[in-house]
Amino acid sequence: MVKVTVDPLTRIEGHTRITAEVDSNGTIQYAQSGGLLFRGFERMLQGKDPRDSALFVQRICGVCPISHGLTSVNALDHLYGVAESVPQNALAVRNFIQAANMVASHATHIYVLWGPDLSNPRYRDVLTAPEMGLGEVGKNVWSEMVGRFTPLSYKMDGKAIPPGVSYMNALTAKRRCQEALAPFAGKMPHVAILYPGGVTCNPGLGEITKAAATYLKILDFVKDHVLGVDLDVWIENTMKAKSPDAAVNFVVEHLSGLISKADGKFTKENGFKDVEFFATFGSELVGERLLGLPVSLRLDKLGNYNDPSKIQFLSYGAYYKRGQDGYTPESADWERFVTSAITKGDLSREPFDSSKITESIACAFYTDDVQSRHPYNGTTVPVADHNLINFEGDVTSKYSWMKAPRYNGIPAEVGPLARMLAAQDPLIMGLAKTFQTYGMSPASVYMRVLGRMQEVARLAYMLPEWLFDIDPEKPFATSIDFNAAKDAQAIGLWEAPRGALGHWITTDSKGKVSNYQAIVPTTWNLSPRDENGIPGPAEQGLVGNAISGIDNVLGADNTNPISIMHVGRSYDPCVACAIHTVDITGKNAPREYRLL
Amino acid sequence: MASEKLNVIDNLQNLDVLQMDRRTFMKAVAALGASGFVARYGTSLAKAMEFSKTKVVWLHGAECTGCSISALNAYNPEFADALEKLNISLEYHETILAQQGLFVDGKLVNTSELNGEILLDELANEGGYILVVEGSIPNGPDNTGKACILGGHPFKDIVEKTARKADAIVAIGTCASYGGITTTNCDTKEYCDFQGMSFTETTPGGILKILGIDKPCINIPGCPAHPDWFFLTVAALILGKLDLNNIGAALDQYGRPKPFYPPESTIHDNCPRRGYYDRGILDKEIAQGGCLWKLGCKAPYAHSDCALRKWNNGLSLCMQAGGPCLACVEPTFPNASMPFFEESEKTEILFGANIGHVALFAIGVAVVAAGVHAVRRMKKE
Repeated sequence: MVKVTVDPLTRIEGHTRITAEVDSNGTIQYAQSGGLLFRGFERMLQGKDPRDSALFVQRICGVCPISHGLTSVNALDHLYGVAESVPQNALAVRNFIQAANMVASHATHIYVLWGPDLSNPRYRDVLTAPEMGLGEVGKNVWSEMVGRFTPLSYKMDGKAIPPGVSYMNALTAKRRCQEALAPFAGKMPHVAILYPGGVTCNPGLGEITKAAATYLKILDFVKDHVLGVDLDVWIENTMKAKSPDAAVNFVVEHLSGLISKADGKFTKENGFKDVEFFATFGSELVGERLLGLPVSLRLDKLGNYNDPSKIQFLSYGAYYKRGQDGYTPESADWERFVTSAITKGDLSREPFDSSKITESIACAFYTDDVQSRHPYNGTTVPVADHNLINFEGDVTSKYSWMKAPRYNGIPAEVGPLARMLAAQDPLIMGLAKTFQTYGMSPASVYMRVLGRMQEVARLAYMLPEWLFDIDPEKPFATSIDFNAAKDAQAIGLWEAPRGALGHWITTDSKGKVSNYQAIVPTTWNLSPRDENGIPGPAEQGLVGNAISGIDNVLGADNTNPISIMHVGRSYDPCVACAIHTVDITGKNAPREYRLL
Repeated sequence: MASEKLNVIDNLQNLDVLQMDRRTFMKAVAALGASGFVARYGTSLAKAMEFSKTKVVWLHGAECTGCSISALNAYNPEFADALEKLNISLEYHETILAQQGLFVDGKLVNTSELNGEILLDELANEGGYILVVEGSIPNGPDNTGKACILGGHPFKDIVEKTARKADAIVAIGTCASYGGITTTNCDTKEYCDFQGMSFTETTPGGILKILGIDKPCINIPGCPAHPDWFFLTVAALILGKLDLNNIGAALDQYGRPKPFYPPESTIHDNCPRRGYYDRGILDKEIAQGGCLWKLGCKAPYAHSDCALRKWNNGLSLCMQAGGPCLACVEPTFPNASMPFFEESEKTEILFGANIGHVALFAIGVAVVAAGVHAVRRMKKE
């Protein structure tokens, strides 16, 4: 066994590390993800005015500040007893700014954080090596990959490679997404308008027009680079398809039609925009078996779950129901555009119930008289003996600052794939079931990235709907009663781009914050083992992977562990949410911490 | 004072490769006269084009990545354009570049083309770059700096290694400048001991002093920093318009470039809702469209050109969208700004930075309020 460590795992938000033990065949047999860092935001809020939290917690993460802000303001609406009466205008503004930011975050992830790994020299070697016998097709695929996805300042064999066309245009599109929401939000990152009972802005037609104009520019990017068919046509045949089978058939026939006309050149001009290119070449099942191409990146074989009984997919739900004032803090099944739900490892479905969430400290550097607690009752006491704080520890010890959140005792993946499954998006559910039928894992790097792309399409389709829900003639806020926040507790549940996000708030007799708790998406996805020894989603997802990807087709190279990069980044980790106050010495340790 | 002001404008004037905004342009033209401006414009543009490569090493400490995201929001020119026009080579940036730390059985492997740890060592050995730091730097616990570890090294050590060989140092955002959100008063504050680069809150020194590194640091605070403030400052450095041997002339007492953080004026002076303040229309509920002073707006204490420059392609501003200014550009952020929604006069903390302005503003409020009341009384009677 060889120990391969990626530390820091870059191109994520914040810093983390992944360690894998690789056998002589180049297969990962064992994996650990360690949260190294944390900051202490929840401590900072104690004793403060609860209203500050919706602006304050945005500073947890500069990539998804709106999600943190909205999760917090949901908790504040609940705390001040106004959740049921927030004007629909305010809900429309919140929906719109969240959707625009989620598209910005997904564009950043797909193109800036995850995508650059497609220009890894290993792929050049596989696609162009004579012994692979791929000829012009291999060369063309490689030239598309490097021509689209190369990051800034990239070098191969000492030679500078210019940044990719899709990459560069995505930077502009991401900026524009933020400009679409800025007229309502004041500025981005870190918006100014979140307040219990509504929003602080009172936009007019001018703001709506500015946002609409910017939106049209974003659609140009989608048309030129992302999607080879009209967005409405795509949505009609995927999100609104009559059945999962119909959606999968539509996409496979679309791709098949493109291939037949491409003459081995998979260019944007030939209709292979980034979604088509990725959908075709990302998967062995789709690209090689269904479409009959000679090669694929086989990303459907990375990041799989081997035991469906030890994994599930969780969505808290997001985007308030349209056309009515107010909302319920814990959204009911099918109430919202992104519904709350649990999708089991076998793809069966059940309603979500927040009381089933617990966090385990078995492998995290904390002590408690019980191993698991619900977040309302959560404690966070670092281990007293600093010798226990060892990131190199194995499964029998503590090895991470992240706790292990569980739903009904089982780990859960959160993020776009989980949301698409909860919403039963016909395309993503259809593909998941197709993989299942072929005896493959419905979850993979391929499905996570494709799920993210599909969510971009769905949100791009919905953005104008939410935008025109805003009515300048109607109120944007309802008043709050400060007394309602005394000796109270409240819950905020929402979705960040990278997954389910929950904040739990408790106040004292003066109406100040006495406890603030948060469980962020990355704590779910990169969690360590729990008291039953069940590994977290990413830890499960790494086992069985070929270290060099594509089934180690040119042999295993532990010095370029491309599968760890792909799998780790496929969850879009946000460890900036994890806090930078590690107790290394154990001396003068603060009594309580909460890992964000 | 007058000549100092001219220097600042001079600096701005030479940033024309970045297509300065209209106001800055007008300011520069006004100061130099049209012909003087045109003469300099031509020279400077030509000079910029033949500029030799400038390397930038960008580090991330205790941060939220918001300042990187904000820099990526740069427009006119955009982020990648700005790099190209200024011939900046972004050599290291954990969120953007291809590299990551790679170890096999605990030993560094591969080359600097894929391994960021090797790359950073090579860069630090070579030296000669602009060091950009995002996020604060923990000095704790017990002066070990181990509260933030990357690739097995305390972040503080990484800052030391790279700062010693840097030609210039820029702190982007309030965290790197002064500690910012990480220095919020709470019971873990002393334990982590978060430091800014050359200040910690209002106290000069910061991590550079602790590390014994005597180099100037340019602070570009803001939560996040505005992309213009950052790129125009870097442009000024590259164009040689910020003299590192006499950098104090261009910076205020907290190390901020005066053109963007004018000591003599506050955001309040140019606030789009200023008219409501002058007429005494002070909102007590959100989303009413009036002045936000009673809702906790701290703009009268905050020194930046936010209200003129605006955000996200000049589209908006916190107060324009009804959000009170948090004075996030000040070294006292966020402690002096909290509670965010309480009228500043009701809070007991004064902004150490601007006591003079606080007093002035408080008087202003009193006078205006008295005037408005007088008018109302007259109308009633």
